[in-house]
Amino acid sequence: MNSTGSSFVYVTYIRTTPERLWQALTEPEFTRQFWADTVQDCDWKVGSSWKLMIPDGRVADAGEVLEIEPHRRLVLSWQNQFKPELKAEGFSRLVYSLEQQGEMVKLTVTHQIGRPGSQFIEKVSGGWPIILSSLKSLLETGESLEATRRWPEGI
Amino acid sequence: MSDKPKFVYVIYIASSPEKVFEALTNPDLTEKYWFGFRVAAAGPAGSTFTARSPGGEKFNKGVILESDPPRRLAYTWHPQYDHDKHERPSRVTFDIESFRGQVRLTIVHDDFDVGSKMFEGISRGWPAVLSSLKSFLESGQTSDPSWFYEAVKKAEEEAQADRVQA
Repeated sequence: MNSTGSSFVYVTYIRTTPERLWQALTEPEFTRQFWADTVQDCDWKVGSSWKLMIPDGRVADAGEVLEIEPHRRLVLSWQNQFKPELKAEGFSRLVYSLEQQGEMVKLTVTHQIGRPGSQFIEKVSGGWPIILSSLKSLLETGESLEATRRWPEGI
Repeated sequence: MSDKPKFVYVIYIASSPEKVFEALTNPDLTEKYWFGFRVAAAGPAGSTFTARSPGGEKFNKGVILESDPPRRLAYTWHPQYDHDKHERPSRVTFDIESFRGQVRLTIVHDDFDVGSKMFEGISRGWPAVLSSLKSFLESGQTSDPSWFYEAVKKAEEEAQADRVQA
């Protein structure tokens, strides 16, 4: 964190290939398993709209594709659509960076917003570790973490 | 917010608190996922913590500050390599909790002096060690030590490049 913005960074190493990791990050049959039964509505081109939809069809977060380099890098703008106080913080920037390192792929997730003390960044800081842990489990063992397979009730 | 460096990392593992605690403290297990390092941390508070490199040298020694199996473990961290030795010991704390059928492992590494070089090193090292721990407990897969050294070296080069750019 610095004086002008808030950010969250998470690094994990996954025994997989960049191609499979990319597929898991973008395709609904994977995200449903590790990302609380959500799917992304996007055609994965620069400038395309991006939406994260929960199982009942509501849009949880929305933005657009800012940069895309398949199997290596994806940058999204990202705004929460659920909570007025989080939506009011405006767009954040999410970067996925994938890099083969020996038998593992290093995945770096950086989520930042241009305001100090962001409630939104605090919120996602609590969510990313379990989602990314579950993604790693899914790719390495074939099974995501049980706690991430359903959208939490009442949200 | 304090200016003192503090590293925090959370990882969820399909395992039990007992298995996670044992994997963090038993050198026969750490050797399998911690890139060949033998880490001995099973003693009570006040006893010695050691980590030996794959070559057998004492890489790190400290004192167990807290041991509450299988929930909490804390020790001082004082690498013995020449370039690290001058820094005073820092502190590593693990919290192990059951969370909806999984384990939530939180590591906090803090009590560094401002501007600590070692802080940069451990910030690169822990994600690799804990990723490897998770793979080991969930799939039995062990990690080739050369991968770890390559990952840390690469991260150091990137950090160096960032500093030059800045």
